[in-house]
Amino acid sequence: MSLTLSGISQSFGSIEALAPVDVDVASGEFVSIVGPSGCGKSTIFNIVSGLLKPTTGSVLLDGKAITGKTGHVGYMLQKDLLLPWRTVLDNIVLGADLRGRATPRERQRAADMAARYGLGDYLNHYPHALSGGMRQRAAVMRTLALDHPVMLLDEPFGALDSHTRLLMQQWLLDVWREQQKTILFVTHDIDEALFLSDRVIVMSPRPGRVQEILTVDLRRPRDVHLTAEIPYTSLKGHLLDLIYGRAA
Amino acid sequence: MSSSKNARLLTAIAIPLVSLVVIVVMWDLSVRVFDIAPYVLPSPERTLAALQDDWETLSAGAVITSKEFITGFLIGAVAGFLFALAMSWSRLVQRLLYPVLITSQAVPIIAVAPALVIWMGFGLAPKLTIVALIVFFPVVVNVLDGLAAVDKDLIALATAMGGTRWRIFRSVTLPATLTPLFSALKMTATFAVTGAVLGEWTASTSGGLGVALLEAQSRLDVASVFAAIVLLVALGLAAFGIVALVELLLTPWRRSPVAPTWRTHFRNRSLVARSEPAQGNSPAAEMATP
Repeated sequence: MSLTLSGISQSFGSIEALAPVDVDVASGEFVSIVGPSGCGKSTIFNIVSGLLKPTTGSVLLDGKAITGKTGHVGYMLQKDLLLPWRTVLDNIVLGADLRGRATPRERQRAADMAARYGLGDYLNHYPHALSGGMRQRAAVMRTLALDHPVMLLDEPFGALDSHTRLLMQQWLLDVWREQQKTILFVTHDIDEALFLSDRVIVMSPRPGRVQEILTVDLRRPRDVHLTAEIPYTSLKGHLLDLIYGRAA
Repeated sequence: MSSSKNARLLTAIAIPLVSLVVIVVMWDLSVRVFDIAPYVLPSPERTLAALQDDWETLSAGAVITSKEFITGFLIGAVAGFLFALAMSWSRLVQRLLYPVLITSQAVPIIAVAPALVIWMGFGLAPKLTIVALIVFFPVVVNVLDGLAAVDKDLIALATAMGGTRWRIFRSVTLPATLTPLFSALKMTATFAVTGAVLGEWTASTSGGLGVALLEAQSRLDVASVFAAIVLLVALGLAAFGIVALVELLLTPWRRSPVAPTWRTHFRNRSLVARSEPAQGNSPAAEMATP
């Protein structure tokens, strides 16, 4: 399912937080947003998720307006926000519980999916017993279980150590490929953006606006060795120039 | 694993028991060593004898006092909980109720007891009110803290997932109050016994342990006073123990890494265990767990 941001902008009082942004995300595409703090990344996410009504513009899902409406896209933050009193499985079906009560079928689907992506032995564990990486997996599963074709991931691996983060990026690519999701991904990490994405949106602050959209035409499936190859490093050089400016 | 669990349970019970025994032994020793007269401080032995002699009156008194503090405790806890919910529900309600809350705590309970007797008579009502007042404030404050501590991002996430206000409250906010609620309940469980005795002293027709205390005092029967005190301590400990036990059952995630079977059985009984979930297809499942 394709996602279209059509001229969305956000002002808080007289302060313009986000200048009009136009982005088209194709169905099944993986798009990252990078940029310094205050460039409006989180504002875009809050608008797309429906938590925030944009000052202007509209959000379209396959051409249908969902501006200001919640419950149409999956949403995940850097904090896993798992509920400590719910088991991993109960956390994964939280979305169904918030729409009513999770049916046995929904629970079965969630359990199968969790088992498929490495959480099978932890279904009845409480989150506090899990490592950071496993907790983020559970949080991704919770977002997947909502069954929305579009997922917004806001720095989901930002709090993990670099080794775990690398494993999780690989893991996320597997999930994305198999579940055929459309993903919009916010990160501070240029390498993470390049490694995961089909396209990278570079944003700049005050007011937040799109500076450039970079196409990452690297082979898939990707593995860590890709990051040492020339096409990757030249893209990274270009990205660094965009964000930090050409060194004199 | 089960035997080590049993051993852990045994030490968990044995160590507190040891400290209780030490207190009784020190009590007994100080009576003997300092040769304290029995009308000043009776030995544990004499106290036990008094407990046996007056068992009929004392046990009947214990039942009456228990009824008072348990009922008052429940009223105070439920009222406090609802009060806290109402205060968190809207800004306006919070502003309206906050002065009421502070006033309820600022009024000295001993001073208000005679007025309660005048208003409510010598029956159960004034005693329940006193106990409930003691329990009320800590419950309100702790539950309010628990409600305020819920992560705003969590509420935003639940909203983005399509949750209505009521369902977010049911699944996200309400369970978050359990831990602070039980902190307050454990704290007030023993105070509630004191409150019941206080109530009996101001309106003494019911014949509870507080009344037994007054009667023994008028007879200068120190051993009987101590017998009543021992029973009151036992009631307080039992009250604390029951609250702690209920907490243990309702909040298993605070102690255990895995949910106990009785909590998951009902929900998961329809789940089919798939022992080999899509092996080979998914490198993700086999990858080293970070």
